[in-house]
Amino acid sequence: MLLSAIVFLPLIGAIVAALVPKDRAGIARWLATVVTAVDVVLVIFVVLRFDVGAGMQFVERAVWVPQLGISYHLGVDGISITMLLLSALLSLIAVVASWKMDTKPTTYFAMLLLLEVGMNGVFLALDFVLFYVFWELVLVPMYFLIGTWGGPRKEYASIKFFLYTLFGSVFMLVGIIALYLQTGTFDMTAMIGLGLPATFQWWVFAAFFLGFAVKVPIVPLHTWLPDAHVEAPTAASVLLAGILLKMGTYGFIRIALPILPHAAKQWAPFITALAAISIVYGAALAFAQTDLKKLVAYSSVSHMGFVMLGIASGTVEGLNGALAVMFSHGVVTGMLFLIVGMVYDRTHTRMIEDVSGLSSQVPVAGGLLAFASFASLGLPGLSGFVGEFLTLLGAWKSTVPAGWVVLAAVGVLLAAAYTLWMVQRVVLGTPSHAVADIPDLSVREIAILVPLVALTLTVGLYWNSLLRFTDPAVARIVALLAGA
Amino acid sequence: MTIMQPVGVLSFVALSAVLFALGLYGALSRRSTVMVLMSLELMANAININLVALSRFSAPAEMTGQFFAVFSMVVSAAEIGLGLALVLALYRQRKTVEIDAMQELKG
Amino acid sequence: MGYVIAIPLLPALAFGVLAPLSNRARNAAIWVPVAAVCGSLLLSLAAFARVWPGGHEGEAVYRASAVFATLGSVNLHAGVLLDPISAVMLVVVTLVGAAVQVYSVGYMHRDERIGWYFAVLSLFTAAMLALVLSDNFLQLYMAWEVMGLCSYLLIGFWHEQEAPRKASLKAFLTTRVGDVGFVLGLAVMYATAGSFDFAVVLHGFTWVPATATAVSLLFLFGAIGKSAQVPLHVWLPDAMAGPTPASALIHAATMVAAGVFLVARALPIFQASGVALTVTMIVGVTTAIVGGLLAAVQHDIKKVLAYSTISQLGYMFFALGAGGIVAGIFHLMTHAFFKSLLFLGAGVIIHAAHTQDMREMGGLAKKMPVTTATFTIGSLALAGIFPFSGFWSKDEILTVLWTEGHYVVFALALAAAFVTAFYVARLWFRVFTGPEQTPELAEAHAEMLVPMGVLAAITAVIGFGSPYFARFLGHTGAWPEAGIALTSTAVAGLGLALGWCAYGRRTKVINTRPLKERAGFVYDALAMKLYFDLTYDYFIVKQYARLADALWAFDHTVIDGAVNGAGAIWKAGADVGALFDTYVIDGAVNGTATLVRAAGAKVRRIQVGRIQAYQGLMVGALVLLMLWFVVKGA
Repeated sequence: MLLSAIVFLPLIGAIVAALVPKDRAGIARWLATVVTAVDVVLVIFVVLRFDVGAGMQFVERAVWVPQLGISYHLGVDGISITMLLLSALLSLIAVVASWKMDTKPTTYFAMLLLLEVGMNGVFLALDFVLFYVFWELVLVPMYFLIGTWGGPRKEYASIKFFLYTLFGSVFMLVGIIALYLQTGTFDMTAMIGLGLPATFQWWVFAAFFLGFAVKVPIVPLHTWLPDAHVEAPTAASVLLAGILLKMGTYGFIRIALPILPHAAKQWAPFITALAAISIVYGAALAFAQTDLKKLVAYSSVSHMGFVMLGIASGTVEGLNGALAVMFSHGVVTGMLFLIVGMVYDRTHTRMIEDVSGLSSQVPVAGGLLAFASFASLGLPGLSGFVGEFLTLLGAWKSTVPAGWVVLAAVGVLLAAAYTLWMVQRVVLGTPSHAVADIPDLSVREIAILVPLVALTLTVGLYWNSLLRFTDPAVARIVALLAGA
Repeated sequence: MTIMQPVGVLSFVALSAVLFALGLYGALSRRSTVMVLMSLELMANAININLVALSRFSAPAEMTGQFFAVFSMVVSAAEIGLGLALVLALYRQRKTVEIDAMQELKG
Repeated sequence: MGYVIAIPLLPALAFGVLAPLSNRARNAAIWVPVAAVCGSLLLSLAAFARVWPGGHEGEAVYRASAVFATLGSVNLHAGVLLDPISAVMLVVVTLVGAAVQVYSVGYMHRDERIGWYFAVLSLFTAAMLALVLSDNFLQLYMAWEVMGLCSYLLIGFWHEQEAPRKASLKAFLTTRVGDVGFVLGLAVMYATAGSFDFAVVLHGFTWVPATATAVSLLFLFGAIGKSAQVPLHVWLPDAMAGPTPASALIHAATMVAAGVFLVARALPIFQASGVALTVTMIVGVTTAIVGGLLAAVQHDIKKVLAYSTISQLGYMFFALGAGGIVAGIFHLMTHAFFKSLLFLGAGVIIHAAHTQDMREMGGLAKKMPVTTATFTIGSLALAGIFPFSGFWSKDEILTVLWTEGHYVVFALALAAAFVTAFYVARLWFRVFTGPEQTPELAEAHAEMLVPMGVLAAITAVIGFGSPYFARFLGHTGAWPEAGIALTSTAVAGLGLALGWCAYGRRTKVINTRPLKERAGFVYDALAMKLYFDLTYDYFIVKQYARLADALWAFDHTVIDGAVNGAGAIWKAGADVGALFDTYVIDGAVNGTATLVRAAGAKVRRIQVGRIQAYQGLMVGALVLLMLWFVVKGA
């Protein structure tokens, strides 16, 4: 029941929040805070009770549509638990970060809660139909969050986001149906290790690849991301970068690799190439940006390239690294978007040229932005390094062409270039006109950043705080890949 | 043939037919909307009797008719609620429940 | 021996205490880092005493490690390894670190962010200590990068001005170019040996020459970045924009020597490769000469010292390339002491003269006796004059080159020594002799002079420990050979003499214009830093920025254009569909509708509008239907 509670508690919250009278925003706000906080507590409980050695845990299974082999099947293992924690935590942070939201606040908080239902559900579902339902459920609140509370080009951005990801998920649906027709079940766990025919695997992998690649996103399917990020309100940006992108890579690790191991190996060189291109291309584009949010958005493209690099390697190091980048990127990019949002709230501009000297005028904001930037560029001792380094190790160790790995390693340098070039202009220097009289972060704002800072340091200094969950689960996937 | 025969299916069908006819008459002839609604309800329940009886005497184990009857009762309860609400709304607007007063749908 | 772990942890703790404080509280708490580094110094001395009288490299006196990452069957460790080399490095780092921190109390006391300065200095010290104590290459790399961060923060400490801001970015990115190589080297090492531990990769693993070459060249590339060797030396002179004591610690004594330390640690792999040693030697000797020549044309006193550092690091590199680990590490140590001494002295001079330009200095010797004395000791050590430390370490390096048969490099090393002596003389005469150009010259405070005195004393005597040092590292030590010692002294003397001729003879302000005119294009090339910076700026930085802009244009016109184009085509298709819909399909529908309307007109008469009429109609129809069924059924 625990997992169901984690998934559906926000749904109840969302319904209640939607029914709150329009002029009583405070109730909706507190309701959303309490619901997401309780969810975090429940997830922490799961984390504490989690047995790292065992496989699927807290499994809940009920017959749903027996004629079609569809069941209500939830479970958590080392791959999903880190994502679940991130999803619950970022949801809480997103709610608190939106404390001052005054445009249709009740609907807004209902949407945030509904989004959490979808996100938690995607990471817990073990049945394809359930998975697909949650996957699509995520789109709806995000569409409204961008389309209603977004920036000037919100309509364009939200429709592009919606159609683009829907386009991808249609292919995923085709893959799911193909798998069903082949195996007669929608249960993910039952499909593992069936030794499906090689050609079949290849085609199904292609379908899943399209579906997941849009979500990740992999270059050249990435152009929805900058638009969506830039137009989305801060909290939506945080969840978009922190969780929604991870759904794509999570799909690869949860579904594509274990169910289609043979195809995964065949596709690995191609994915590696695209991953390396994403890394360098995203970094170069981030370097060219003049808008802070766009810079962070393109840096996400680059970082998600590292995840794909690790996934394509199919090694213990690479997959652990991929999961570590996923976690770290969620935390660090969340931090970056939050701080950029806080600066925007004060200066009403996101243009890099208009903002400078943050560290002199607002030392806490400037310092935290610098901290997040260093975590983002992969400084050892902070979480960003763990995954980047491990994915490079794994990629080098695997059989993928070494040239792409070298290119990816150059991405580490380029990451430092765009990040520090931004820090130099925004954080350092003398305060610009827009920054001249702004107040520093409030206690509420610091409070939502502190847990993220703590996670960044913990994972960065003691890698096993994260790897102890992921490593045993990764070992099982690697064994499947080796057997194919 | 004794008087105290077990009650057969025919008796139920007959009862149902009588009730239905009463309801039909009411629905066609009463001028008060409320009474029309009550007549409709009567007809619906006549059919429920039919359902239960026929089910009981044809395939008692499956209970299909009973289920349908319950289902139909629930629906008609909802329907009558809606109907009365409409009547009430109409009454507020026109201060009458006379059925002849409502002829807006004339072609 | 567990206290060894506390050596890096103390400064780390000091950083942890200071970093979250408010600026005001930090400024009040600068005694915490000073106390921490002094504590580390005492523990380091204790550790050094424990290691005495020494042994072989890698022969651990104390080892401790803990797993911090598990990957399948592989465990990655964080650990400390106390062996002779790390013991030496511990003492060097903590001693210079303590000297610099005490000095900084005086030097930085008027800065409003002095607390932050000390916090970063502590983090740096912690990272450097973690690096030298590391028992594996991964931890070494991680500490290496953290030092890069501290270097970045300290170079850009006065970030309100543009030059420090730019210099800090340049420093971080240039060293990171090298780090890409280092990371790839780690990846190759891991894929080959399955471990980063010294115990495995240095002593328990047989390297194939090809892989050994790959790993060692990639490591060397990292070291080139960190130790500012040609061609990645360009960041170090600019890094002088940071506070001078930070330059003394980071950009002279310790961090830049980390590259040398890395090569020294990985020397078994370099030796397994063979080729890598030659490359190391070429890099080192090129750097030694280029750095020396560039130092000879600088006017900024700190830049002279920066190029001198580059040059001296080159010395260490070719020493290691010749296999002379003792000579390399010994020079690292002596250089750390005398160069930090020179930097601290330069700090005092800059404070007193209110300028960094040597052309605006002069005659400091009369008013600043302590500074002059200590600075002279440092200068003579740098020039390689007996009995100061630089003489001994340079002599050892030359001996290694001679005995290993690298005669060309030997000659080039002598040339570099000559240039070194020349620019030392140039600097010394310009600053300390000649007419005074600054009014109100005054000696510095005691907290700045005492550290300089300590470093000067060490510089003066440590050379005599040369043979013991070799034995401490497990090699056979010997006193210098007369031939080589005399040669190097003669060369250094010539350099000093030339410097005296050019800059020491006259007592008025020196005019170097005739010299420049005579040297012609050579001088121009040197003044333009041999065009390294210009080349990088034009061919790499600018081109990358252009590429990024071009890709950005490509992204939002071509790729996004394709997406929007697909949308537009879809919409156009939909419009065509809509036309078809309106005229063909709707036409059919409308035609039907017309028909129905006509029929409806006929039928409408039934629609009386009374519900009960409809009901009657329905019932009637129903009855008819039922009748039909009955009839048909019958």
